[in-house]
Amino acid sequence: MLKIIIPTIMLIPLTWMSKPNMIWINTTTYGLLISLISLFYLNQPNDNTLNSSLMFFSDSLSAPLLALTTWLLPLMLMASQHHLSKEPLTRKKLYISMLILLQLFLIMTFTASELIFFYILFEATLIPTLIIITRWGNQTERLNAGLYFLFYTLMGSLPLLVALLYIHNFMGSLNFLMIQYWIQPLPNSWSNIFLWLACMMAFMVKMPLYGLHLWLPKAHVEAPIAGSMVLAAVLLKLGGYGMMRITTLLNPLTNFMAYPFMMLSLWGMIMTSSICLRQTDLKSLIAYSSVSHMALVIVAVLIQTPWSYMGATALMIAHGLTSSMLFCLANSNYERIHSRTMVLARGLQTLLPLMAAWWLLASLTNLALPPTINLIGELFVVMSSFSWSNTTIILMGINIIITALYSLYMLITTQRGKYSHHIKNIKPSFTRENALMTLHLLPLLLLSLNPKIILGPIY
Amino acid sequence: MNMFSSCMITALVILTLPIIMSSTKLYKNKLYPYYVKTATSYAFMISMIPTMMFIYSGQETIISNWHWMTIQTMKLSMSFKLDYFSMIFVPVALFVTWSIMEFSMWYMHSDPYINRFFKYLLLFLITMMVLVTANNMFQLFIGWEGVGIMSFLLIGWWYGRTDANTAALQAVLYNRIGDVGFIMTMAWFLLNLNTWDLQQIFITTNDNFNLPLLGLLLAATGKSAQFGLHPWLPSAMEGPTPVSALLHSSTMVVAGVFLLIRFHPLMEHNQTIQTLTLCLGAITTLFTAICALTQNDIKKIVAFSTSSQLGLMMVTIGINQPYLAFLHICTHAFFKAMLFMCSGSVIHSLNDEQDIRKMGGLFKVLPFTTTSLIIGSLALTGMPFLTGFYSKDLIIESANTSNTNAWALLITLVATSLTAAYSTRIMFFALLGQPRFSPMIPINENNPLLINSIKRLLIGSVFAGYIISHSITPTTIPQMTMPHYLKMTALAVTTLGFILALELNLTTQGLKFNYPSNYFKFSSLLGYYPTIMHRLTPKTSLTISQKSASMLLDSIWLENILPKSISYFQMKSSTLISNQKGLIKLYFLSFMLTMILSLLILNYHG
Repeated sequence: MLKIIIPTIMLIPLTWMSKPNMIWINTTTYGLLISLISLFYLNQPNDNTLNSSLMFFSDSLSAPLLALTTWLLPLMLMASQHHLSKEPLTRKKLYISMLILLQLFLIMTFTASELIFFYILFEATLIPTLIIITRWGNQTERLNAGLYFLFYTLMGSLPLLVALLYIHNFMGSLNFLMIQYWIQPLPNSWSNIFLWLACMMAFMVKMPLYGLHLWLPKAHVEAPIAGSMVLAAVLLKLGGYGMMRITTLLNPLTNFMAYPFMMLSLWGMIMTSSICLRQTDLKSLIAYSSVSHMALVIVAVLIQTPWSYMGATALMIAHGLTSSMLFCLANSNYERIHSRTMVLARGLQTLLPLMAAWWLLASLTNLALPPTINLIGELFVVMSSFSWSNTTIILMGINIIITALYSLYMLITTQRGKYSHHIKNIKPSFTRENALMTLHLLPLLLLSLNPKIILGPIY
Repeated sequence: MNMFSSCMITALVILTLPIIMSSTKLYKNKLYPYYVKTATSYAFMISMIPTMMFIYSGQETIISNWHWMTIQTMKLSMSFKLDYFSMIFVPVALFVTWSIMEFSMWYMHSDPYINRFFKYLLLFLITMMVLVTANNMFQLFIGWEGVGIMSFLLIGWWYGRTDANTAALQAVLYNRIGDVGFIMTMAWFLLNLNTWDLQQIFITTNDNFNLPLLGLLLAATGKSAQFGLHPWLPSAMEGPTPVSALLHSSTMVVAGVFLLIRFHPLMEHNQTIQTLTLCLGAITTLFTAICALTQNDIKKIVAFSTSSQLGLMMVTIGINQPYLAFLHICTHAFFKAMLFMCSGSVIHSLNDEQDIRKMGGLFKVLPFTTTSLIIGSLALTGMPFLTGFYSKDLIIESANTSNTNAWALLITLVATSLTAAYSTRIMFFALLGQPRFSPMIPINENNPLLINSIKRLLIGSVFAGYIISHSITPTTIPQMTMPHYLKMTALAVTTLGFILALELNLTTQGLKFNYPSNYFKFSSLLGYYPTIMHRLTPKTSLTISQKSASMLLDSIWLENILPKSISYFQMKSSTLISNQKGLIKLYFLSFMLTMILSLLILNYHG
């Protein structure tokens, strides 16, 4: 694992020592090279794990997320060039360093083999994210958003620390690889119920579960583009990843503890997608759509069948790329119109035809058009929830309909119709932006050819 | 390895070539539409080879190549089913598309993005081919969703128009409701039969197929615009006329019926679903025929008549005659596509005028279009020995002699009669009588692109039914003997419809227009369905999502209960407990008082 971690650390000196006009191109190229290394982990020759050391390992659950994380850094760098163009050089370098630091923590989080280590890094990712949101956000509300972001996640995850200490005390180890052989079924008692809650709530808040999701739209809306991208693409997936790792410890309590959270997610996914129908704010719409998609992942993880785990993993990767792409598109609108309000950016297809093609493809992947991996994820989740209870198909069906509706509503409002006069003299779309969208779409399309590598440990 | 599968694959590969070439310079070329059209025609000719072989020897093939993935015990691979249905439908669809593409070279010639239009048409055709030839449900779903999205793009082709965008969104929405049924069926098959392969589904037995078949019925209802999910089809007429001719008459909308035909082995023993299908089809065919009676937009009339014919196909499936329904799909494709093209020709000639009240007397100025329109309408009504006759007459006969639901069959008969009535109305208002359009419009239909494309379908509308029904032996045997009056019913009700409509039109032409009656309003307002469903439902759901989901739950409850209340109580309690309240004036005042007092006391003390 050091062959990814050390190059990532070395990105920081590269940033600070590069010539002023080379900072973006150097870091982006280097980041892309690192992401190439991470692709090797997708090949899992033996069905268990690749143990790199006592501290790091990767298996087929963490490898796709790892690849996603490393893939996203160059994309974030490409996306935020315009946003930072007016900043002094030191601040640019500081910003890039923050992104690199975040990537470093994320890589280590996804590959940590020890729960406490995982926990520490999980919390450590908050710091660069918080700085990115509150320092480089666009409006004053960013401070409020940072407050929400920090407090929700911290409040959720502090009980986890206590729970982990307790588990360590009676199990003797918190190593993922060993725990799965030592694990005893938990007896059904009040204290164990609290243990379950303490373990799961940290990740439920991060996902976020409906009801605890308020921080997400705020953070997404106020964050600069790179912040939104990494939040939607990777940070939310930490929750899903953590849940899938920790549920092995919590059997058989999950069987009945899941009910209220299943209910909340199924209900919340419809609520959040119907909120999307009434959004006027483009970024907020995309953020709520993330909440709705993540609710599907929560449902899948709580059902705990092989099919649902496959669906959850596939959906996480697919949603990571799709929502990140949507945020990039929203940002390219924002850089031209200087507003997130959708009605102000109508009829852009006439002016930016290529951008309209990206919008179309992004919306189609968001509504899970076959045979994209979004569909595979959603389909597997629907299958497993159907086998869990036949009636969930009604809720899932409503959600499928509303998802299609708001995705196309977003497409039609921004791209179709007549353009308004104040956008007559906007800049054309840059090659940088087109390359950015292509780099989002390529993995999505190529993964549909061979979805097996992102289906997680049990295919 | 014989030529059967290789020719079929060649035909499909030829279709993808212009799509691949669209990334090269060729796409910038003015001749791109021509290439696309030629590719389609070649694909048609090559696909005729395996079809001939199939007609001759009756061999069916399943090609299974590229293995996609294996999930636990389920194998998913790319697999084509070249059986009766796909082998007949593919050449028909290719033939119709060929003509429509030639037609759109004329119709869309002034469009700056005509190349993209052709690419979309071709993409649509490919997804349709995927749908028709799919051998597993996943592949079928790819085609199924693909045609839906392509219809979204093609209906919203003129994206500057709000109506076009609304219609496109409406089409996707209604289709999506159907997709939920499809997904449920997939889930059920996966759960209970552990397979998505068609032949594996058919050989597995299960006691109760009600649930998956209901899902399929819902899917077909959405895609084929059956009653309840029907309004998107007339709205889709906002798209360009070639799109209406291709998608909304001959290919995409029959996909729902095609799906039910595909899954017929499961359906043929299930009385409940058959009755449901029959009733649904009967209601659709009557309701849409009634709606067609009072429409004035020529494309809307044809669209409603499509919907009505789709209902008729559903009725046929409901009376357990899937092969007849399939025959009707094939024959219907020819004359309905031609009717759309004729109306396109009329609309284009009259300077984008779609209202039949502003036409009239076109038989003088557009003789060829008039001829084709009349032949198409006659074929639609099932005039003997035209294409429609061979399927429609058989359908009505087998409906008359079957012993199922009598009122559903009666409704179908009424709808058949109404078909003749609204066809008469088009002919009477648009073609006959005195011209009512502006005399300043130069009318010219002598364009080889237009003439040839319509001519090809015209020949199809006259002979295709005969050719198809004679080369393919129907696998289910229709009723052979019946009394005279049953044999003549179809013809009699059609003739009745013609005569009545003609007489009514002639008598009422000179009359003063009274305040419309309630029956008229029911028909012209489409049964009040859009008024109710397109106002009430979206308004309620959007209000609910605004008021309850967004305002009440998100902004009030969730925000107040957790973050706001916590910070509020923290603040209150801290101010309550703390004795330092920041009241500077008071503190200074008390300080001053103490100072003064101490000064005074100290002074006087000493």
